[in-house]
Amino acid sequence: MLLAHDAFGRLCRAREMLREIREQRLSIPDIAREAGMSPFHFIRRFEALFGLTPHQFRIQARLDDAKLLLARGQHNVTEVCLEVGFESLGTFSDLFARRVGMTPSAYQRSARVVVSMPAGFPPVMFPGCLSLMGQLPASAFRNFQEA
Amino acid sequence: MRIKLTSIMVNDQEKALQFYTGVLGFRKKHEIPVGAYKWLTVTSPEGPDNIELSLEPNANPAGKTFQEAMFSQGLPLAAFEVDSIANEYARLKELGVTFTQQPTAMGPVTIAIFSDSCGNLIQMYQPNA
Repeated sequence: MLLAHDAFGRLCRAREMLREIREQRLSIPDIAREAGMSPFHFIRRFEALFGLTPHQFRIQARLDDAKLLLARGQHNVTEVCLEVGFESLGTFSDLFARRVGMTPSAYQRSARVVVSMPAGFPPVMFPGCLSLMGQLPASAFRNFQEA
Repeated sequence: MRIKLTSIMVNDQEKALQFYTGVLGFRKKHEIPVGAYKWLTVTSPEGPDNIELSLEPNANPAGKTFQEAMFSQGLPLAAFEVDSIANEYARLKELGVTFTQQPTAMGPVTIAIFSDSCGNLIQMYQPNA
């Protein structure tokens, strides 16, 4: 589909609202209304543009926030769970473990191993992909034909 | 010094592989697990097979902030050249791709912009004859 410029702007603004932890009380229909679209059209267009539904995006955003808070180490798992908008510790832990591959506490423990920087993120937690090059096998760099 | 590798951040490597191969028509070259992520690269069947595009996982919060800001401003993070932008536009629309700009003549090129559904706007361009 070809998206009109103003619809594009409204969908981007809606994405910011879904990412914003303070706006978590807003429902998807609320955000659709802010974007000037019916919930049906909003969800369809959001997914067409961003590759996931507003609901999926919001869950992802909350898990991203949870990872950051856990890595910073200033809150325990229960506090993080509530802070990012989950009401049930069980739901949060299951979802986190399924998406991230380890429990929230395991994730927090792995972050503690690293010296944290005052205003930044523990560097080892988020390696740039290019810095992982050293862990690849030699076959990743064998070329049979020069460009 | 040679340009053999370039990269773009994607917010989901599985989805990106599907989009960049199944929709755009690139070919997977490497898919190697590295810790929690993958070293994932594609090449173009229309070019040499040792110029690779790496689909990088976007795990870094600063990376996500950058990617989302560029997207919201309508700024593409990669550009690919095509022989017939009219044909590609029709083909990609048929495949369900969302465009933010239809083919538009601009100076020496005609360009169009679409979402890769993994957090990026991509520009495709056809140099005018």
